[in-house]
Amino acid sequence: MLLVGIEDKKSIVRCTDVKMQYNTVGRERKGSVTSVANVSSWFFSLRRVGKKSKSPQKFIASSRSDWDLSTLTKTTPTKWALKDELCEVVSEMESLDSGEEGKNSNKAKMMSIGRKKFNMDPKKGIEYLIEKDLIQNTSESVAQFLYKGEGLNKTAIGDYLGEKNEFNEKVLQAFVDLHDFTDLILVQALRQFLWSFRLPGEAQKIDRMMECFAKRYCDCQGENNIFENSDTCYVLSFAIIMLNTSLHNPSVKEKPSIEQFITMNRGINMGQDLPRELLVGLYESIKAEPFKIPEDDGNDLMHTFFNPDKEGWLWKQGGRYKSWKRRWFILNDNCLYYFEYTTDKEPRGIIPLENISVRECTDRQKQHCFELYASGGADFIKACKTDSEGKVVEGKHTVYRMSASSEEEKIDWMERLSRSISHNPFYDMLASRKRKAQHNAKN
Amino acid sequence: MGLTLSNILSRIFGKKQMQILMVGLDSAGKTTILYKLKLGEIVTTVPTIGFNVETVEYKNICFTVWDVGGQDKIRLLWRHYFQNTQGLIFVVDSSDHERTEEAKKELHNMLQEEELRDVVLLILANKQDLPNVMSAGELTEKLHLNELRNRKWFIQATCAKQGNGLYEGLDWLSNELAK
Repeated sequence: MLLVGIEDKKSIVRCTDVKMQYNTVGRERKGSVTSVANVSSWFFSLRRVGKKSKSPQKFIASSRSDWDLSTLTKTTPTKWALKDELCEVVSEMESLDSGEEGKNSNKAKMMSIGRKKFNMDPKKGIEYLIEKDLIQNTSESVAQFLYKGEGLNKTAIGDYLGEKNEFNEKVLQAFVDLHDFTDLILVQALRQFLWSFRLPGEAQKIDRMMECFAKRYCDCQGENNIFENSDTCYVLSFAIIMLNTSLHNPSVKEKPSIEQFITMNRGINMGQDLPRELLVGLYESIKAEPFKIPEDDGNDLMHTFFNPDKEGWLWKQGGRYKSWKRRWFILNDNCLYYFEYTTDKEPRGIIPLENISVRECTDRQKQHCFELYASGGADFIKACKTDSEGKVVEGKHTVYRMSASSEEEKIDWMERLSRSISHNPFYDMLASRKRKAQHNAKN
Repeated sequence: MGLTLSNILSRIFGKKQMQILMVGLDSAGKTTILYKLKLGEIVTTVPTIGFNVETVEYKNICFTVWDVGGQDKIRLLWRHYFQNTQGLIFVVDSSDHERTEEAKKELHNMLQEEELRDVVLLILANKQDLPNVMSAGELTEKLHLNELRNRKWFIQATCAKQGNGLYEGLDWLSNELAK
């Protein structure tokens, strides 16, 4: 009986934890994403326990003061037992932590120190790693380390590669040579390259980097190379970076037209012009999708979306403004994620599929519509999204209205969504309590 | 005391837009200058992959400052941007005695550009906090500034790290451009 009691209280604490984490979403992006994704598992534990206890409502009402550690010092025997139990758990967790650390070899520890040093000051980090014999004092070895990029900050990699210094320039060359651009069109190759480090903003650094990139790109194309010489490719790559800046940097007020981009590239092919279609294609690609800021290692969500239940384009209606936006949706782990572009590493929004329902609907503007709505009387659907300033905020949707490309798609989405939706009585309870409180306040 | 016509107009019609290019050798301090000027302003924009470009508002003028540069081969591309440029900021590391010749060449090379014929030139003699630096007067000589014909120019000693001299430079630019 006592054990059940303890479990109950733990789950209550967990559940306030979740709420706290959820409230901080505006401040911390990475943490919030995982916390929302974890919501389902947190509540799973709650539900399991909830079944055992007699009246869940009762323990909620009493739990807060009980759990306060200071009140535990009041000497009731059960509470002492509870405190002992707590201490045991805490020490167990601590020993687990230190045990894991103990397993790590000295070398791994130094490697980790080296990485941290690198992220703070790339030059010092590399010096440390060479000194500790973890990497060799050759441009190839350093380049390998940067290319692998494990635990490294991409801005620090970019800073190191951009440095004007004989050794760093050699490392840059070796780093570029580790990329394989075979069979990629120029803009794809550039996107891949610019994902491996954060391109610095200094013109001279960009210049050196694009020159190296272009040589490697042309080498990889072999006989299929469309550029007569690598200088043409270098100038064009530089022009693409300029275009990305002009089109997407908010400081640039006048956005170049496609004709201006073509004029700008006059005569760059050894005095000749490049094919118009090539330039049009590049312009369209960059306009439609800017170069992404590369994500630092270890904190991207890619693995989450490796094998989704379903993914595809849907039109989504806004919560406050009822405009329609096309978004890439991924359904996975009882969560629905949506992205602006298919290649985005972080979602624009996350909707945990809990205590909501899905139904068909009709819309005046769009066909094949369905919507997610809050069930159990809650006002809003629990969700979060990234706002225009890049902050993560709570969603304001009472319904999420979506439009699929066809009737079959709509049915498939609805089926898969309803299969993924889980129901948790805790929310209904919370909603009903909230209503009650509001009702009481009114009277 | 006297207000010029454009001054009055700009007061009536609001902000004037100006495109400024910033050039100089590697590690002269261009990026530091750019971000020092931005300091204190709230930056809400999402970062963009590409060149450092910032808008700085000063004395009712909205300066858009581009960090440009690179080898001669890509100057072809910048030409397109030169046409809409009103000012050029040339940054020089006052402590780097070895590379003043290179800096001089870079500057005069840039000024050869037909499209930059009418732009005003502000030279920032940067890193004045370091020991054994050249003064603005010395640099005027070393950079052959007195040989410039038909060009409005001004040299200002700066220390970008502390922000010294930067607004004096901008003052000169905005006065010239208000004329």
